[in-house]
Amino acid sequence: MTTPKSTPTGQSQGKNLESMRKFAEKYASRTDTYFCSNLAVTAAVIKGLAQHKEELGSPLCPCRHYEDKAAEVKKAYWNCPCVPMREEKKCHCMLFLTPDNAFAGDTQEITTEQINELCQQM
Amino acid sequence: MSSSAAPVTDASFPTEVLESSVPVLVDFWAPWCGPCRMVAPVVDEIAEQYEGQIKVVKLNTDENPQVASQYGIRSIPTLMIFKDGQRVDMVVGAVPKTTLANTLEKYL
Repeated sequence: MTTPKSTPTGQSQGKNLESMRKFAEKYASRTDTYFCSNLAVTAAVIKGLAQHKEELGSPLCPCRHYEDKAAEVKKAYWNCPCVPMREEKKCHCMLFLTPDNAFAGDTQEITTEQINELCQQM
Repeated sequence: MSSSAAPVTDASFPTEVLESSVPVLVDFWAPWCGPCRMVAPVVDEIAEQYEGQIKVVKLNTDENPQVASQYGIRSIPTLMIFKDGQRVDMVVGAVPKTTLANTLEKYL
């Protein structure tokens, strides 16, 4: 008997998504930043981070183009939270927005269901 | 998805963009880039507003790394304007429609 959900890839993908979701919530709260008022942006970025974690072992920023993703992971500069975020609270991916940002919403929380639903609509 | 911006690839870029007789706006995007999803509808509106005057296309940087690298794309989304086969301007990040329109107007 085979159940599609029990494939290793499916399981680890879910695990990575969950760990990135939790990381995003915690990091937003710790840095006093907020998710985008358009949560589809947040959902896409979390999904992209989880995908990079799955493929590369690190959550490389999904809002950059890289010549060589594996080499970038080693450099670590764009591994989330990236250096610009850690040093200046600058996230061009719009995952973590300071309250003065016009696109900032009022939440630091997103559920797995919301992520899956919003990503399906894309 | 009904988008006014037609997709271009590494292969079609020279004919579709560089050899175009009208200025071309290229939306460099990636599948899991959040702000790209905010820019896409703006780009579509621009395509409708300037129909006949410019061409509007989009390029998936994950699937077409050659063109993306050639033009030094780093931060995504990046919107580039090409005229007579040359890159003439560029806007990086999610920008309001007016910013994009003002940049475009210079090349019409």
